[in-house]
Amino acid sequence: MQIAVLSGKGGAGKTLLAVNLANLIEGSTFLDCDVEEPNGVFYFADTYNKEEVYTKIPVINDHLCKHCNKCVDFCRYNALIDFLGKVKVLPSLCHSCGGCQLVCPHGAIKEKDELLGYINYTSVRDHKIFGGELRIGKETGVSIIEKILAKANTNEDSVIDCPPGNGCSVMESISDADYCVLVSEPTVFGLENLKMVYDLTKIYKKKSGIVINKAVEDNGLVEAYAKEIHIPILGYIPFDKNLALSNSKLEMVSNGAFKSYFDHVLNRIKKEVSI
Amino acid sequence: MIIVLPIKEESEKSIVSDQLGRANYFYVYHSENDEGVIFKNTFLNENHGAGVKTAEFLLKQNADVLITPRIGEKALEILLETKVKIFKSNAKIVKENIKDYLNGDLEELY
Amino acid sequence: MKQLLILSGKGGTGKTTIASSFIRLAKSKQFADCDVEAPNLHLMYKKGSKDSKPYYGLKKAFIDQDVCVECGLCKDHCRFNAITDDDGYKVNPFKCEGCGVCGYVCPANAIDFQQSTDGSIDLYQDNYRFSTGSLKMGSGNSGLLVSEVKKQLQDSEGLTIIDGPPGIGCPVIASMSGVDFILVVTEPSMSGFSDMKRMIETIRKTKTPLAVCINKYDINKDISNNIKDYLYENNINFIGELPFDKEVNNLINQSISLVDTDNPVGVEIKNIYKQVIDLM
Repeated sequence: MQIAVLSGKGGAGKTLLAVNLANLIEGSTFLDCDVEEPNGVFYFADTYNKEEVYTKIPVINDHLCKHCNKCVDFCRYNALIDFLGKVKVLPSLCHSCGGCQLVCPHGAIKEKDELLGYINYTSVRDHKIFGGELRIGKETGVSIIEKILAKANTNEDSVIDCPPGNGCSVMESISDADYCVLVSEPTVFGLENLKMVYDLTKIYKKKSGIVINKAVEDNGLVEAYAKEIHIPILGYIPFDKNLALSNSKLEMVSNGAFKSYFDHVLNRIKKEVSI
Repeated sequence: MIIVLPIKEESEKSIVSDQLGRANYFYVYHSENDEGVIFKNTFLNENHGAGVKTAEFLLKQNADVLITPRIGEKALEILLETKVKIFKSNAKIVKENIKDYLNGDLEELY
Repeated sequence: MKQLLILSGKGGTGKTTIASSFIRLAKSKQFADCDVEAPNLHLMYKKGSKDSKPYYGLKKAFIDQDVCVECGLCKDHCRFNAITDDDGYKVNPFKCEGCGVCGYVCPANAIDFQQSTDGSIDLYQDNYRFSTGSLKMGSGNSGLLVSEVKKQLQDSEGLTIIDGPPGIGCPVIASMSGVDFILVVTEPSMSGFSDMKRMIETIRKTKTPLAVCINKYDINKDISNNIKDYLYENNINFIGELPFDKEVNNLINQSISLVDTDNPVGVEIKNIYKQVIDLM
């Protein structure tokens, strides 16, 4: 079973829920796809191994370049510029599409590997943990996310901590999931972003359910929406200062006083997936 | 000497644009004959790298000085490798900025 | 016109709550929401007339099945795995990055690039002018949309308040252009702290003056103190901290502005506001 945890808004409790679900599922693999804010791994361990992830960027051979500017004109990302008689590459804008090399009539463009980021991995007890890290200044970590997702064994249980928002990297991270857990706060803002991610899960026709994080006495806003779209509320994580304190220190709250809340959510998910 | 400024309106009386790569127009001033030419910014709606294209434009114009309120990281990365000097604009119109620059009253940004 | 931008790095730190309180305190006639991937401010200011314009992103590939000779070259060359051949050759618009390689290699000229609507640019006008935008899901780059949202702002009297995007990427850089002052809202968690440091690094490159406040500081006072030490050592203005208060969300859900109440968070926001105005 593969569970994806997502939320439209940052700070809604996505990572909190994902790490604790993984913690409770014996032998599960945890995949942290939030490569721009890679914190999930640290809940499990302080140290981890690093694997480098590379992308390709063009290198111009100035001796062969005839300054025809075909590559400059082709590049949709403006990653190549005409620099006073030379063509200059701006790696931070390059999407590694390979187009410039194809259009160069003089064979003056080759590609070289450039470090895009890392995959961080470790094993803790019976869990395998994978996370990624995008180097500062790099625009997109989609290829790191693809590599992290490839680490999951489809026969084993895994939990995916998706990136925030609704961009292409979120789509990538839910594409193989059996179930999507949507985390929302019971506020007008939370609801707005919940609607957004729910629409996303619909595109891939994924089964989904809602967990209300920072739950208070009245969570009617989100409950009413769940009723309207006919998806279940899987559980509630309370709005509690002690929980927030433990979580801010990257402690695994499901090992302590708050275990029952996460057990409840997990049991509900198991039931939903089996239907 | 050639001085370039991003401007808001197609006029010598325009104020300096608060954006560089996404300015509406560029004012290119030649001090030898005290004449300025206005260019429309054709990269205004580029999804990526408007600042890079602006830097390329400055190089093609053979600019010596850029007067702008601010500059993005990528345009800066390119221009730092060239002779172009970058100065911080003031709130006044284009002509006043050029005059202030020539009098040494503008501050160098980088 | 003076522009104040509110940023956070990490999402969910209370940026929008502070922005809306500031709008009220400044009696601001003009404001903007640059968080185009998850806009929220319009939930509070949707009165008045609304103008919407489509936002176009990069043109995406489209394969004409009637012309396609099914040679597979496009699929072989696509680095984004955006082309499938399960049922004729097709482009997945969510994966296509519009690079143009498939069109270049296609021997049959079956691929063309079509404008796609990637979001909208919105303007609400009442006794205020409120510029915002939203990005359609799966549409990558939002820096240009942020610039479009900011372009709808006019020269006006008083303070223009801008709710910024999360993260430190391209949209954030776009939101910074032309602003006079940046307020960074952070929270006392390991991730909040590390994101704040990355944020400050980014802001310092633009040389825009800035100040920092901490939200929910009492959740982890140790980290709050570490943040304050860091700011002091780096000579950055620290201008206040907001307590954790369960009542805040209730008030927001009832559309009551915090600064109209005697809620301790509202009181502290007023104090922070005063300091921002002094610094500006």
